[in-house]
Amino acid sequence: MNKTSYDIIVVGAGHAGIEACLATSRLGIKTLLITTNLDRIGYMSCNPSIGGLAKGHMVREIDVLGGQMGQTADQTCIQFKRLNSSKGPAVRGTRTQNDKHRYSQMQKKIITEQENLSVLQGEVKRLILKNNECIGVVLQNEVEIFSKKVIITTGTFMNGVMHVGLEQTAGGRVGDSASVGISDQLASLGFAVQRLKTGTPARLDKNSIDWSKTTPQGGDEIFYPFSFKSQRSFYLPQILCYLSHTSEKTHDIIRRNLDKSPMYSGLIEGVGPRYCPSIEDKVTRFADKTSHQTFLEPEGLDSDLIYLQGISTSLPLEVQDQFLRTIPGLENVKVVRYGYAVEYDFIEPTQIHHRLETRPIKNLFLAGQINGTSGYEEAAAQGFMAGVNAARSILEKPEFILERDQAYIGVLIDDLVTKGTREPYRMFTSRAEHRLILREDNTIDRLAEISRNIEIVSEAHLDELSIIKTKREKLHTSLKEKTIYPKPEINATIISMGSTALLKPVTAEEFLRRPEINFSHLSAIGFDYIHDEVVTEAVEIQVKYSGYIQRQYEVIEQSKKMENQVIPETTQFFLVKGLSNEEIDKLNRVRPRTLGQAARISGVNPSAIQAIMVYLKGYNKKLQDVNFEKNQRQLSPKSE
Amino acid sequence: MLFNSDKDQQTICALATPAGGGAISVVRISGLNTKEIILQACPSLKEKNIDSHRAYLTKIKTDRSESIDEVLVTYYADQKSYTGECSAEISCHGNPLIVEKILNRLHELGARSAERGEFTYRAFINDKIDLVQAEAVLSLIQAQTESARRVSLRQLQGESSKNFLKIESELIWCLAHIEASIDFSTEDISVVEENVLVQKLKQIQKDLQKIIINYKVGKILNEGLKVVFLGQPNVGKSSLMNQVVEKEKSIVTEVAGTTRDVIEHATIYNGIKIFVSDTAGLRETTNRVEKIGVEKSLQEATLADLCIYVFDASAGLTSVDQKIILNVPSKKILFVGNKVDQIQMSEQSLLQQETTKNLQTVACEKSTIDPNNVLFLSALDPICREQLLLKVIEDYRGLDYLNESLISSLRQHEMSQDAERAISSVVLELEQSVGLEFIAQTLKRALLSIQKILGHSFDDQIMDRVFKEFCIGK
Repeated sequence: MNKTSYDIIVVGAGHAGIEACLATSRLGIKTLLITTNLDRIGYMSCNPSIGGLAKGHMVREIDVLGGQMGQTADQTCIQFKRLNSSKGPAVRGTRTQNDKHRYSQMQKKIITEQENLSVLQGEVKRLILKNNECIGVVLQNEVEIFSKKVIITTGTFMNGVMHVGLEQTAGGRVGDSASVGISDQLASLGFAVQRLKTGTPARLDKNSIDWSKTTPQGGDEIFYPFSFKSQRSFYLPQILCYLSHTSEKTHDIIRRNLDKSPMYSGLIEGVGPRYCPSIEDKVTRFADKTSHQTFLEPEGLDSDLIYLQGISTSLPLEVQDQFLRTIPGLENVKVVRYGYAVEYDFIEPTQIHHRLETRPIKNLFLAGQINGTSGYEEAAAQGFMAGVNAARSILEKPEFILERDQAYIGVLIDDLVTKGTREPYRMFTSRAEHRLILREDNTIDRLAEISRNIEIVSEAHLDELSIIKTKREKLHTSLKEKTIYPKPEINATIISMGSTALLKPVTAEEFLRRPEINFSHLSAIGFDYIHDEVVTEAVEIQVKYSGYIQRQYEVIEQSKKMENQVIPETTQFFLVKGLSNEEIDKLNRVRPRTLGQAARISGVNPSAIQAIMVYLKGYNKKLQDVNFEKNQRQLSPKSE
Repeated sequence: MLFNSDKDQQTICALATPAGGGAISVVRISGLNTKEIILQACPSLKEKNIDSHRAYLTKIKTDRSESIDEVLVTYYADQKSYTGECSAEISCHGNPLIVEKILNRLHELGARSAERGEFTYRAFINDKIDLVQAEAVLSLIQAQTESARRVSLRQLQGESSKNFLKIESELIWCLAHIEASIDFSTEDISVVEENVLVQKLKQIQKDLQKIIINYKVGKILNEGLKVVFLGQPNVGKSSLMNQVVEKEKSIVTEVAGTTRDVIEHATIYNGIKIFVSDTAGLRETTNRVEKIGVEKSLQEATLADLCIYVFDASAGLTSVDQKIILNVPSKKILFVGNKVDQIQMSEQSLLQQETTKNLQTVACEKSTIDPNNVLFLSALDPICREQLLLKVIEDYRGLDYLNESLISSLRQHEMSQDAERAISSVVLELEQSVGLEFIAQTLKRALLSIQKILGHSFDDQIMDRVFKEFCIGK
């Protein structure tokens, strides 16, 4: 039999798989990407947009580290928005709405042209294992392909079941069949496999909508691309979205038909995301709300399809038709594809290391929805990290882990492997305890040097990033050095800005700390600087909120003690006095690397952490005592 | 077995009742080997199958089978005891020699002496009690007076925890609203108005302030109130002291400067323990011994909860007095004009006015002085004890210990103060419209302090609350 072999096999070409295979091949590793459908590479199965709060942060992080998502999102952006731009300077998030078809096309082109990367259409039936190591995959046609590492990014496809009304079909997405085999195999190997649920709304025919009854919504005019490699002006023409809303009439129809919803008739056992409830859920759980908003989002420049944001549903087709027509503008709507719910298997992520390799099976990496996440960005982040780590393992380099105070990606993975998840995991800024320093504007400052060690981004590009960093530092220094004197004409200008007159000389930095003052005010009072938002924004936030940011650093410093306290891999938690059986069980399942990680496991109480700390102290002391005795013995013989 | 020698794995024992007396004494034993040790110490129990929560009358014997005492052994099985582990109580006759013999026997059989608070520590690590309760137990053990005991008991029953739990839940509610408006700013959710938030936080702040003030009361209930007599020589400090403690503790003579060292004694008044210190009179002196005494007096004053500045009412508050008062290093001073027996009743009100006026002058330079905090009495009249002590405990009397939730550990107090400070910053920040993400950070600090008091971990409670409160979803 012909034995084909690669260094790395990536199974699945969604947002996780793309980043994984690009990272490995860009690191010079011979990679094979296997997908069931070559036309659906980088497909946006749900909403046609990238980014948002916390998600946009991750896209920028992926970009600086050498991932692809940011560039493709920038180049296919058809509406751009910075969220929280007026309030919440430290939690601004970028969101693009994308031309779904162009996005997928661009990803496919990049993959096809990538060196060291081959693509194969086919379905993986099972993994080839040898002594608890993964050494390759077997395709549906029994062809075996061998590799040093396998990265699985099968999304919602593992044992996927789609629900519309009370009808069910096997599949991970409309038009694509489910993958069977892998999750059953993993379950038989002892992996804990669970069910999750997600849903998607109907796609409508643009020509059947009465737009006059909706409110147009434009995007921002200034473009801040995700990628530092992208141009600073829009690549594509920008479009409008449209706002409409449900009414009591809509809700009545939904309530009357709840018995036909798979969610409420008990057909679906998987847990759905609380932050993205179906319209059935919204109507039931928030019965006093008489209206819910919905955005009508075009799926592309040339597309006739409209994505109906906020109205995900799995009610029967005729009920969908009925309730959709109560929404202003949709009175005569033609549905092209109906909404549906999909249930799928995921592997409980507490079974994987931070480097995304599974604990039970070596050389097997999992990334994306298979780990219980939701969202393109969460998937891409994991795919990238799995790819980098799989490649580094082959290159015999140490594992690459981002800490919680370095990146949202670090928060994402640490949360998954420490806490697991019961619903599809989506990133929020509130998940990051250090979010004031995990900003979009300082992504470069946080990650450019780290990126240098990964070696995907070229030296030339990294030097560009260094220049930005230097410019920021210079600007900050000049703010500190510039003194503004309370001269009458200066004070007159200051008062005209809506601020109060100076009583004594202040530095430009101090002046900028005034809440009502921003950079644009500074030139009027004689402070010259280069007007480049890329440089000024980060400095302004740094200056204005230095007190808060400083405190955040102090908290990080304090938590370092816990984060640096390593729990030896040989620790047997049942020997620690004072732990409940439940806690021992959880600690054994997660196997935390550090005391800090142990403290984040839900259900492990502070008293347990105290007990482990006491135990480790005793353990360390015993080690010391043993060493001490040894030394004593070595020192004393002379006297005998 | 390297780890079996671990401290927490060992069986511990200790005398649970006060040392040195009583009709009976109770020895407590807890840990893995409790049952084994008991059965070996009390051989007659071996035939019986001893049950949890039952008392057995038996003899405790030495290794040579000599009887030490007839005792009552109550056995508690694993999980069902105070410490959460297997334990027993041995009630024996209240003779220190017997107790010592029993403890020795238990040591022989492998139990070691418990450290201070170790039983409670074990109850805590075995999740039998929470941190607040653990601290309450410790102060219950140390409670020296009835009211302190009552406060400790209330804490043990979870009253304080209940208070903090309420604060915790309200802070989480506030944070949920702030977080929702950050993370879901694009969704049409209606979060609470900022002024409602401010009001709510101000209420929490008030609750915390009350807890903090009550701590001082709690501390006094637990540790007692420290009162120091200060004043010029020969104004009658020692006489007053003797009246207060109802004993001849200080030597009283006509000679100024008789008291040279600090003399301390305790008394209990209205259930509050009061430590009273008599000190050397304050004056310029060349006598080396007396000089040291004067320094000591002032030093003593820095430790006091209250200073009682005694002056001779027949002479009034002199300029020398005023000078000395300026140097008294105390936050709170009660002024006592002694020897009213030496002045006419008719002159008393005039004297009072004059004293207050003089004190007002002093208060101009030392703002902590309350010119109205003056009392006139005669140390010769036994009623002066009542007069004086009533005034001394004035601040603590109005509080109903049973209806106020009190905290009694320094740790809880510090955490409450941290939380209170953080919340007051949040209120300020909200009023100044600082970005919500910064406000959230400060608020989280407050929440963390409260959760530290409760021993709770910082979990995903905020997001859970967000999803409960708001309809969110694309």
